[in-house]
Amino acid sequence: MGFLTILKKLRQKEKEMRILMLGLDNAGKTTILKRFNGEPIDTISPTLGFNIKTLEHKGYKLNIWDVGGQKSLRSYWKNYFESTDGVAWVVDSADPRRLADCARELHALLREERLAGATLLVLANKADLPGALTLQEIREALDLDSIKSHHWRIVRCSAVTGENLLEGMDWMLDDIASRIFTLD
Amino acid sequence: MSLVGKKCESITLLEQSRNEICTKVTPEDVLKLDKITETYLCSPEANVYDIDFTRFKIRDLETGTILFEIAKPPTDFGVENDGAEDGLEEPLDPNAGRFVRYQFTPQFLKLRTVGATVEFTVGARPVNHFRMIEKHFFRDTLLKTFDFEFGFCIPFSRNTCEHIYEFPSLPTDLVEEMIAAPFETCSDSFYFVDNNLVMHNKADYAYNGGINN
Repeated sequence: MGFLTILKKLRQKEKEMRILMLGLDNAGKTTILKRFNGEPIDTISPTLGFNIKTLEHKGYKLNIWDVGGQKSLRSYWKNYFESTDGVAWVVDSADPRRLADCARELHALLREERLAGATLLVLANKADLPGALTLQEIREALDLDSIKSHHWRIVRCSAVTGENLLEGMDWMLDDIASRIFTLD
Repeated sequence: MSLVGKKCESITLLEQSRNEICTKVTPEDVLKLDKITETYLCSPEANVYDIDFTRFKIRDLETGTILFEIAKPPTDFGVENDGAEDGLEEPLDPNAGRFVRYQFTPQFLKLRTVGATVEFTVGARPVNHFRMIEKHFFRDTLLKTFDFEFGFCIPFSRNTCEHIYEFPSLPTDLVEEMIAAPFETCSDSFYFVDNNLVMHNKADYAYNGGINN
């Protein structure tokens, strides 16, 4: 029995997954997290640290970490990479001016060794806003098609309407599960 | 320093040498505890990271109702305003803020899915391997153990953590006993940084709210 098999068996017991939500400030990470967990989203202030949620979903025990995206906080992101199974990268679809910055941060993240095995879900948030870019425009601006190192998918979503949040999350969980849990 | 003397008596609880207690309570020690501790296992001064719990909240996921919320008023610019208490000559209780008393109605024990949120701030020093171990007892029966690693905390950060969990299904006779015995349900919360105990908080619980005594 190889090391990987043993690891898979260990993790299978608890079906535990660690999801890291990252992205530029004001992308909507905390709002998505709250929406996903049925909390009011009318009074959300910038995250100056982290918000963790642990919950059961689809038979998995999820630990979701939403870490603040302000520039001064980004150098601390690396402290949260260890054991991450999935990265939810949140993008403000209605902020074209910052897409280049967003692309740079994302690609820097993907070069991180400790995130090498992680599944990437790009959440194109605020898609309900007038002036939001199309999915194709964001896909190109973030140069997603150049990503060969990670399983990835992009979905348009809105934390306010709830559109596609669950679908996106479920895709990521299934992708992670197919990698880390052995089939019975 | 009667405080220290009292604290060190808790050695017997952990069966460790008297000299070690104040620095050497490990996560393994508290995981092994089979009842509520009689004393605090560290002094308030052990919290050298200025970790400060600023909010506790419990909500019912099925209805979205907030069942309990207690928050510290924010201090200006995140700095403790020591001057604010001038004129209040009450002696300072070193254990103030380490203990919370919860009063619930019997309905609380019928909840299925609850979310328990804590919010805390940390001081100037980065915090590594921040871990919480919380044990809930009714008398000498262990009801639930939480063991969660927050990991790293950014200097001067404000952080939240919500555990959403299925309420343990308790036998009916135990539930009735818990309702009939207010404040005999208790919890110890231990907080470790790099395996050193830095905080110990206690709480007790009553479930007879709304019942005419």
